[in-house]
Amino acid sequence: MGFGHSKFGFVSDFDIRISDLLEAKMDIFVLVKQVPDPEAIVKVKSDTELDIENKYFTSFFDEIGVEAGLKLKEKFGGKVTVLTVDNRRVDALRRGISMGADEAIQITDPALEGSDQFTIARVLASYLKEKPCDLILAGRQAMDDDAGIVGPAVAELLGIPHVNAVVGLDVEDPKKEVKVTREVENGKEVLSCTLPALFTCQKGLNTPRIPQVMNVMKAMKAQIKKVDLAALGLSPAEVGLSSAKVKVQKYLPPPKRPPVKVIKEDFPDNVKTLVKLLKEEAKVI
Amino acid sequence: MIPQSAFRNPKFERECKMSNEIWVFAEQRDGKVRKVAFELLSACAEFSKKTGQEVSAILLGSGLQEAVKSLTPSVDKIYCVDDPALTSYTSDAYLMNIAPMVKEHQPSILLGGATSTGKDLFPRLAMHLQTGYTPDCTGLTVGEDGRLVAKRPLFGGKIFAEMIFSEAKPQMATVRNNTFIVNPNLSKSAKLISVSPKTDPSPPKKKIIGLEKASGARLDITEADIVVAAGRGIKGPQHFKLMEDLAEVLNASVGTTRAVVDEGWRDVKDQIGKSGKNISAKLYMAFGISGAIHHVLGIGTCKTVVAVDTDPNALIFNYADYAIVGDLFQIIPALTEELKRVLAADR
Repeated sequence: MGFGHSKFGFVSDFDIRISDLLEAKMDIFVLVKQVPDPEAIVKVKSDTELDIENKYFTSFFDEIGVEAGLKLKEKFGGKVTVLTVDNRRVDALRRGISMGADEAIQITDPALEGSDQFTIARVLASYLKEKPCDLILAGRQAMDDDAGIVGPAVAELLGIPHVNAVVGLDVEDPKKEVKVTREVENGKEVLSCTLPALFTCQKGLNTPRIPQVMNVMKAMKAQIKKVDLAALGLSPAEVGLSSAKVKVQKYLPPPKRPPVKVIKEDFPDNVKTLVKLLKEEAKVI
Repeated sequence: MIPQSAFRNPKFERECKMSNEIWVFAEQRDGKVRKVAFELLSACAEFSKKTGQEVSAILLGSGLQEAVKSLTPSVDKIYCVDDPALTSYTSDAYLMNIAPMVKEHQPSILLGGATSTGKDLFPRLAMHLQTGYTPDCTGLTVGEDGRLVAKRPLFGGKIFAEMIFSEAKPQMATVRNNTFIVNPNLSKSAKLISVSPKTDPSPPKKKIIGLEKASGARLDITEADIVVAAGRGIKGPQHFKLMEDLAEVLNASVGTTRAVVDEGWRDVKDQIGKSGKNISAKLYMAFGISGAIHHVLGIGTCKTVVAVDTDPNALIFNYADYAIVGDLFQIIPALTEELKRVLAADR
């Protein structure tokens, strides 16, 4: 069953598979990405190139997504598939498998090099639209570009609702509306949402499990299914740098802070001096 | 490489100039326009001097008289959709109303705050409009040709990138709180354009069923002008009372570190840093925070940083403007009292 059928798009009361009536199994996809570790050194190499230390990990928010998917599978049965668009790294897929995901898909094609987030979203949506799917999970943002574009953009292309920065997910019956809590400024908003939907996961939703060593080893050998553009019905002209809607004009190092002023007086004079400096020099109070 | 023509197209430049409007999404909450919208309108007032364009605000919600009134001096035009169905934000309803307005008026730029709403709406809207979008920017410039250059942090703030847009319009960006300063002297007199609401006859795919307000009346750490934070050095959740008292005097919000959140002492919504929030406060004060890289990345765009820690070699001192090597349990109460005294003398 694809997006054009009962679960997506034009819902008809009569277009329901018998199996859907008998069981509540969930088909869940998790969008994952391998990104430079927070400790990795990243430097400007040239105006449009970076030097990135070869220290990668699975984007933390994506792991929260995998965990959320696995919890639902444990409750209702079904399948968790991890999905990435990456020509080089499949470690995020292996991480997902070692945590307990059933299947791993790598969308890879030389033409994808230089694609922006909107193109990545289009590629993912092209894959997902043909698949039976109840729920798509992603991280709040990838911890390299910190953009948070791909999730909502995929939802837009598939015509399904999305909820960002989810910190609570309560599914009683996958065939009905689910309760989702999202973080907003100084509070939490509780929504009811129909499935299929796409949720981006925020810290606080769960604590991702640490895979067992045995499972890590199994994951190293797990089959990863490769999908290229042709299989998705996309042409190279639709992706890559030439399709990008935004591009980097120039990379810059972070602005340098002026040297620190250490207030060396004894207590309580140091406190008085600090307040004076904040008021008269920094003028921030 | 992208052919330069894709990004330097004379036709596009003409179109940018021809489009005579720059738009700001004037996000409101409970009928009150948020400060970041006024910051953006002040920035756009400057841009428009260069480009000769008009600055327009788009305002959606229900019962918006006060919001319209507050925006009037800051903007040339207000496109206002006032409808009970828009009382609270959902991406579906907002997108359905904003997208046709954009298509009709073709602004060259559309800006919004990098808030929970902005970050939820803008990527989806940009995909819908097939245009470019740069999130969470910390600087914007506009050339005379109307082209936007958006500066934004990558890798949690280890790198900044100046982004430029392809030919598609509008050039969309969300911008962090406190990136621009509100100009209180704008004296425009906005023309109000009421736009009739668009509604979806089919049942909504998602709806808001409740809002759990966080306890206390403090602003979110991303919105506050002043943020005071404590790390593990505060030794336990019970001592955060010290921080609350200090915050009270400064009208600040209280932030914290990943270690403290992982201990369960504070809620994750107050976490500053890579897996938490990035803040751009005017004043940030860190107490008992060692300054791990994932924390300091989150304060990279704060204006003034104060650090207090017992360890003279704490990394946080490399990122501070003012530092005191000392015990927070001694410093904070004294600082609270001194601030009370000094600030009372001002009033």
